[in-house]
Amino acid sequence: MWKTIVRRLLLMIPQLIALSILVFVMAKMMPGDPFTGMITPDTDPARIEELKEELGLNDPLPVQYVRWVKNALQGDFGKSYTFQRDVASLIGERAMNTFWLSFVSVILLYLIAIPLGILAGRYQQSRLDKFIVFYSFITYAIPTFVLSLLFLYIFGYKLQWFPTGGSVDVEAEPWTLRYIWSRFYHILLPAITYAILGTTGVIQYLRSEIIDAKTMDYVRTARSKGVPMRKIYTKHIFRNSFIPIAAFLGFTITGLLGGSIFIETIFGYPGMGQLFVYSIAARDYSVICALVMLYGFLTLLGSLLSDIILSIVDPRIRIE
Amino acid sequence: MEVVDAIKDTENQVATREDIMKRIILLGIALFMFIGIGSSAVYSQNVTLPASVTNEGKPIKGGILKVGIVKDEPFQGVFLAELYENRYDAAIMSYASNAIFEMDGNFQITDEGIASLDVNQKENKVTITIREGVRWSDGEPLKIEDLILPYEIIAHPDYTGVRYDTEFKNIIGVEEYHEGKADKISGIRKIDGRTLEIRFKKLSPAIFSGGDGLWTYAAPSHQLKGIPVKNLIESDAVRKNPVTLGPFKFHKIVPGESVQFVKNPYYWKGEPKLDGVYVEVVPSSSVSVAIGSGKYDIVTGFAATKWPEIQKYDNIDILGRPELYYSYLGFKLGKWDPEKREVVTDLNATPVGNQALRQAMGYALDVEAVCEVLFFNFRQRANSLIPPAFKGYHDASLKGYTYNPEKAKRILDRAGYIDIDGDGFREDPEGNKLEIKFATMAGDPIQDEIAAYYLQNWRDVGLNVTLTTGRPIEVNAFYDKVEADDPEIHVFMAAWGTGTNPSPSGLYGKSDAFNFSRYTSEFLEETIRKIDSPEAFDPSYRAEQFRIWQQYMAEKAPVIPLQFSYEIVPVNKRVKYYSIDYGNPVELHEIELLAKESIKSK
Repeated sequence: MWKTIVRRLLLMIPQLIALSILVFVMAKMMPGDPFTGMITPDTDPARIEELKEELGLNDPLPVQYVRWVKNALQGDFGKSYTFQRDVASLIGERAMNTFWLSFVSVILLYLIAIPLGILAGRYQQSRLDKFIVFYSFITYAIPTFVLSLLFLYIFGYKLQWFPTGGSVDVEAEPWTLRYIWSRFYHILLPAITYAILGTTGVIQYLRSEIIDAKTMDYVRTARSKGVPMRKIYTKHIFRNSFIPIAAFLGFTITGLLGGSIFIETIFGYPGMGQLFVYSIAARDYSVICALVMLYGFLTLLGSLLSDIILSIVDPRIRIE
Repeated sequence: MEVVDAIKDTENQVATREDIMKRIILLGIALFMFIGIGSSAVYSQNVTLPASVTNEGKPIKGGILKVGIVKDEPFQGVFLAELYENRYDAAIMSYASNAIFEMDGNFQITDEGIASLDVNQKENKVTITIREGVRWSDGEPLKIEDLILPYEIIAHPDYTGVRYDTEFKNIIGVEEYHEGKADKISGIRKIDGRTLEIRFKKLSPAIFSGGDGLWTYAAPSHQLKGIPVKNLIESDAVRKNPVTLGPFKFHKIVPGESVQFVKNPYYWKGEPKLDGVYVEVVPSSSVSVAIGSGKYDIVTGFAATKWPEIQKYDNIDILGRPELYYSYLGFKLGKWDPEKREVVTDLNATPVGNQALRQAMGYALDVEAVCEVLFFNFRQRANSLIPPAFKGYHDASLKGYTYNPEKAKRILDRAGYIDIDGDGFREDPEGNKLEIKFATMAGDPIQDEIAAYYLQNWRDVGLNVTLTTGRPIEVNAFYDKVEADDPEIHVFMAAWGTGTNPSPSGLYGKSDAFNFSRYTSEFLEETIRKIDSPEAFDPSYRAEQFRIWQQYMAEKAPVIPLQFSYEIVPVNKRVKYYSIDYGNPVELHEIELLAKESIKSK
């Protein structure tokens, strides 16, 4: 298995190189540059030309690409033109924000979805099951921004249970208890929204797996042997039903850094999704390229992780 | 003074990409909120919003003014006038402003500020004198070196912003300093502890509104001196603890999200009455609800198109003022010659070279309806290329192109644009089919509606106008095409923020790359020259030249102004007095609150 993992890791290198060329070329092919749309009657076209020259935007593409790769290999992803900051530290800051939000979201998601999925599967056709199915259809159908705004309106502004925006209270000193609580408190409402929106998949998978498993031979065997129902569920059915959920876990973990543009925008939470969309609009090439490379790497890593996890939970699967 | 900040630097951005992104993402959201709150569309009949408001009551002692800045992304957080590039940073900084001049209603520098300006037109130099006893927010006295430092930052070889431009090079010695040939800027001389002299290559009337290369801010040299210019933009002095001159000083900053200001005890006009100001970024999707629930005392950057969402709230007053902005219809009448760096007009190479046709296209547009239905009259049909906020220069007598389809048809008939083959569309005077390509920016759903309506307007007078590329064009691509004189564009719709100097040079001159219509003539060049000439130091002469220019542009119609816009600012009823009048803005240090908490709408 170790051999496979190393091989997969090595295989990532050409994949990432291909991705980097693709991303770089496509980013540069977009119409405009960081200065388009920034012009005012006071802007001097000659100065913009000068700045483009200084930023190397006028060099031939291969030259720009090689320079970018060289710097990137040394950990220098360049400077964000719009934020006037080092890309690595900019992304680092946003990635932390997004990570904590996603982390809380995912925990909440599983906390909500797993019990609901199990109950719905076990008590299929009951009123509870029907309610859960109904619930999951609703959360599946409702657009992200609608639920976000609804929650923000009800819990943020009307009931005032939660803060309505930002990631932390300005008065809180960094890394005091109050600061950590404030961060958590700010994350909670967006995380709940995020979690509720994501539950459908997990509930449906679990439910149908459990329902399927109930008719399986091994369950019938167990029942005919007189094993109590409760034990059949905990020992046999649940364990098998979790396989597809586990398969997703790898992607879920790496997806923690993806961020959600809608949630971040509506809750005014500075995260990765927003940064990505914004930097595309602003033609902030260094940020775009760094982010796509990061996402690409995470996706590859996620699929590897998923395979590894799968091989652990399902003894029938062995990576060779 | 906030006028200098807010106008000169913050308002002169045209529809930026952020705005457009914001609109793309939030189209659906806005719609949902609109319905969700249960508001119904109500039209304001005429814009009569006051520029100031006074609420009765007994003020509390101190208190924190809560300000919301409508923005869907985090702010950049470059808090130094010399370095920031984003207008939201400027809006935040205005509470702690380092501006040394104040301006009057005509955007002319007055003697009321920290510094006064004395212009010696004959010798092309100015003398700046600072008041005695002005201190920085850390107690250090303001020095002449603090006025010189900004020039040395901007002219520094390591400076990477847009401000080192042709205008800035108008200061004598700046170029030598930039190239490293001199260790001082020779044209800038400290006379004594309170006086600075700056010599220029030439002076124009723009000097009185802070143009010609004059810099209107001070920078704290005692804090910044040791930091290399290259590292300045990422330094704590710029990002975390800037030292400032204004009524409030930076206390705490959550990067990208919020800023806590506290009062500056050293403020030269006296200690502020408030304890502080809290500024926070608020997403456009929830700003209306936030205003209703009394979350903010002042909201800046509120889109006037969302006015129906807040107009029923009883906890606020809505203030308004004209913006330094106009949108326009531009006709492509030539090309840019990159070799000679000048505009080459060729009226025969374009289907819209005929002046009568351009005029008819102007009369055919029902801009009035667009203003009323889509902008609730917070936009008005523009009659000239000078926004009315420039009272001294705006030609109010100019009729402009008011909606008159019959007149448009008459003009077209007379000019020989007649439908010969009976397909409903007019042919050109030579009898050839006429198809006019119209370019418009995508991203803003309202702009899409407007474009569709204008196409209909032109169809109504028999003109076959179609969209370039068949659909609205993404904003970056749009500007690429317009700048490159794409042959597929005959007419385009865009906008300018004018800044505080309305001079047409830079936008309509022969050597101006931003002269997107590529129209020039000897008379036009002459008029533009006169507007910024030495004679124009006489305000009545300058006003007369502005009038001539406006009328000439209206007649020739290389660009037709479409709309002027209003900025609206909701103010909570617990604020005792607030004003956004350009000539008489509220003094930030005198703001008082009438209640401990902001007032909620019932």
